[in-house]
Amino acid sequence: MTFDCKDLERALAVPELLPDAREHAKVCDACRRELWLWSEMSSVAPGLREEWETPDLWPKIHQTLAAQQKAAKRNNVRFDWRMLAGIAAALVIAVSVFIFMYSPSGHTPAAPRDSDFLTEQTLKEVEQSEAAYRASIDKLSRLAEAKLNASENPVAIAAREKLLVLDSEITNVRSTVAHNKFNAQLQTDLAMLYRDKQDTLKEILPHAQSSQ
Amino acid sequence: MAAGRLTARSDADLIQASKRGDLSAFEEIYAAHAGRMKSIAFHLLTDRADAEDAVQEAFLKIYKAAGAIQFDSGLAPWIYRILLNCCYDTGRKRKRQAESPLAAEPPAIPNNVPLQLAIRHALDRIHPQYRMVFWLFEVEGFRHSEVAAILEIPEGTSKKWLFEAKRELKRLLTESRA
Repeated sequence: MTFDCKDLERALAVPELLPDAREHAKVCDACRRELWLWSEMSSVAPGLREEWETPDLWPKIHQTLAAQQKAAKRNNVRFDWRMLAGIAAALVIAVSVFIFMYSPSGHTPAAPRDSDFLTEQTLKEVEQSEAAYRASIDKLSRLAEAKLNASENPVAIAAREKLLVLDSEITNVRSTVAHNKFNAQLQTDLAMLYRDKQDTLKEILPHAQSSQ
Repeated sequence: MAAGRLTARSDADLIQASKRGDLSAFEEIYAAHAGRMKSIAFHLLTDRADAEDAVQEAFLKIYKAAGAIQFDSGLAPWIYRILLNCCYDTGRKRKRQAESPLAAEPPAIPNNVPLQLAIRHALDRIHPQYRMVFWLFEVEGFRHSEVAAILEIPEGTSKKWLFEAKRELKRLLTESRA
């Protein structure tokens, strides 16, 4: 084939024609420059890659994922508990109905007392303790959050995200507790969340202070 | 090049372990891909802080969606598809927040600058689809099959767009250096 300058573009698209193009370029300056530019673009391109260090990026991702995992575990535990409570309640009803129908008349079984549920007096005590605990954590929270919000320290940023997750979880559990005030397990979950928040606040307070 | 290929544990092992909540396995995925992801995000968003945010967002989504991954085309294309979507979301948000609604005209290609810099300028002036293929193939070193899987286009289209990208770049560079 007789290679001409106008064939160059086609040769760039069809690699099989490139040897002919190179041969032609030996005697044609314009095509030689174009061929050089074509291959040089590929040689130079990897140098355009942008690289920089981000030592804080993985810790931020890790901390967010760890907080999410923790919250998810709590939700699972609560879900399991609810399911078991439902099954237990259904069993109690079924057994009660069975006893009522097949026991000799006049006999009324004593009402079962479930130790998993709180009494009125205990509930009052739990609510008082929770209110006092919440007030003290809110105080700690106010101290830390003003500093945290102003801080660009990566630990503080990650902690802010974790506190958001915890606060949302606390709101969820509190609203569930409002409908199940006598449920000991839910009260324990809530206390654990408060403890987690307290630990997080204590943990990050020095970081928030150091970055001021 | 084997893009994002991991040697110690396979991609499938790592994603399976991540699904079970193993964050050290997920960290291996991060270590293998984060550098290239930051570079791609920076190319699209032109700001390091935005790029880091997009990469962080992408990893959180990857972890959340690990259970749904199909290994038909490998882990890497799936990861980079999620990244591109995060970048486009960030770009859209930034566009909404920008005070001036008009997109800035890319600057003209300066004369007599090193070729690498001239290519960087010229890239701003070519079609975004051609630019993306050029970036993934020539800059980040993905194979055409991987570029095709990431952008969800046929492999032949990836090859064609790369050719068009280089042809446009060659024209712009030749004009600027004439």
